[in-house]
Amino acid sequence: MKRTVVPMGPQHPVLPEPIVLDLVLEDEKVVDAIPTIGYIHRGLEMLVERVEFTEFGYVVERICGICSFMHGMGYAVAMEKIMAVEVPERASWLRLIWAEMSRIHSHLLWLGLGADAFGFENLFMHCWRTREEVLDIFEKTTGGRIIFSVNRIGGVRRDISDSELVAIVEKLEQLGAGFAETARIFETDPSIRHRLGGVGILTREDAHAVDAVGPMARASGIALDTRLTGTHFYDRLDFEPVLETAGDCLARVVVRVREITQSIDLIRQAVERMPKGEGAPIETKVRGNPTGETFERLEQPRGEVIYYIKANGTKYLERFRARTPTFANIPAMIKLVKGCDLADVPNIIMTIDPCISCTER
Amino acid sequence: MDTEAFLARVGEYQKDGWRLAIINTTSILPAEGMEEGAFDVSWSFAKDDRFEHLRHRILPGEEVPSISPSFGAAFLYENEMRELFGVNVTGIALDLKGQLYKTATIVPFAPSAIRARLEAVGKKA
Amino acid sequence: MTNPFNLPMVGRSLRNLVSRPATRRYPSEVRPHFPGTRGTIEFDLDTCVFCGLCARRCPTVALTVSREDRSFAIEQLRCIACGVCIDVCNKDSLHMSVEAPRVHLRTGAAPGDPRPGHEEWHQVQPAAGSPPGQGDSAGGTAAAAV
Repeated sequence: MKRTVVPMGPQHPVLPEPIVLDLVLEDEKVVDAIPTIGYIHRGLEMLVERVEFTEFGYVVERICGICSFMHGMGYAVAMEKIMAVEVPERASWLRLIWAEMSRIHSHLLWLGLGADAFGFENLFMHCWRTREEVLDIFEKTTGGRIIFSVNRIGGVRRDISDSELVAIVEKLEQLGAGFAETARIFETDPSIRHRLGGVGILTREDAHAVDAVGPMARASGIALDTRLTGTHFYDRLDFEPVLETAGDCLARVVVRVREITQSIDLIRQAVERMPKGEGAPIETKVRGNPTGETFERLEQPRGEVIYYIKANGTKYLERFRARTPTFANIPAMIKLVKGCDLADVPNIIMTIDPCISCTER
Repeated sequence: MDTEAFLARVGEYQKDGWRLAIINTTSILPAEGMEEGAFDVSWSFAKDDRFEHLRHRILPGEEVPSISPSFGAAFLYENEMRELFGVNVTGIALDLKGQLYKTATIVPFAPSAIRARLEAVGKKA
Repeated sequence: MTNPFNLPMVGRSLRNLVSRPATRRYPSEVRPHFPGTRGTIEFDLDTCVFCGLCARRCPTVALTVSREDRSFAIEQLRCIACGVCIDVCNKDSLHMSVEAPRVHLRTGAAPGDPRPGHEEWHQVQPAAGSPPGQGDSAGGTAAAAV
């Protein structure tokens, strides 16, 4: 049978970031996909030679706009481990709250883009309208909507008062209640079910073989969640990872919809359990230069992110590496694209929640 | 580096159900005894709460076997290692032949290149 | 046969006719910013002592402070509004405002000029008898050559 090669990307209405997949087609079926990335490689890891470690947090935040807070938090936490700095408890709780709100905003963003990818623009608008309210909370508490610049080695720069925290929880619960209708549509609408159900099935064994992380793995039934390791006060909260077993695109959508509700619940628990009193210190002053190396793992909205920092006693770090979850999920995407229909390719690419700017730094 | 023992250990990790987390490379600048510098490569595996590393110091030009037969997802890390650092990884499953990032500087993180950049701005290397 | 009078969209259309729009009517309705929103750095020449701490700590090297000339320059398009300069200033000379940055194209910049454009420049006016300085005092109008 005659084979056609259709290049998809780097510019495509469905893709949030540029990536090229050369699709080899027989009729409408994709038999092979050759990826090319490298359109957003900015060489941010080379900047360790020029930017001092105190200011490198600002570079790390700007690796990606969606996952910005968790990058900044990961850098700060890893440096605190190297420099053996004790962070005040309130600062860690605030970071947890911002991280969970970051997860809510990222999932809402993805749900909107995913809906746009299969043509449901109305749903896209609803998701992003809900997301605007989360961004307003960010602007009120940190000063920025996307890039917060609120993490510092040793703590955070701004405090949130107790009354403000209670107001945030109320606002988020209202938001969750308002979002319930949109969530119901994602889970039960027949057109979405028809478009996404049974598409791009990743079985549990395959998910393990390609080392998928985050919602990709959780939608195939693997209980993989870095928050379960209990660091950063997650061991003081009660939650179970959201699991689905079907492993198709619809299951991944459902996992992310349920994680929004889970994050709202986690924030409510955090505000109840954190120590009260906004006069408490939120930052420990840091002196001297770092020496040593460490790995640090966090759970970003897209999965497990690993930071590696090596410092040699000068003001400049020797090595900084961020292995983002999309980097780990790209083999899964390539595997899923082979064997599907051409019309399903955008859905499958979107379903790994691609953050190519994080992947390529 | 003892490639047979290394591959055997990697095979054990794969059999026990561990997941490849990251293959990380750091350049060591040229020093006495290492005129061209070296690389510290760390293969990290994760399972549940455990996070373990296999770490080796590799000299430039030394052949490093790919672990993509056991862990298929390793091909991205190994392509990056070869393209940015110049580590000689052989037998990668999906070989992108230096076209992964297409950087303007070839092998930007090779030890000699890093030293040249640091000296150009007058920093102690 | 379906009921010809079961027209769900008619009810929705009539409701949309009489209710408020779902979107904000910009520019007649502008969303107000919050008190802590980060935006532009504003500088007060009267309180500055030109210690240069802010310029040393700026992550993007957007500030140039000269003690001899008693001048302060900020390259607004390099500024990322992180606020570190505001945190370190001991004299409270820097503030954050939510106005859009005032960007002045520096004309007549010579080739090879280290900072060729887009600067906002302040300098203390010299007292009578001292060597003449360049540029204006607080108010930050178009920059002169450095």
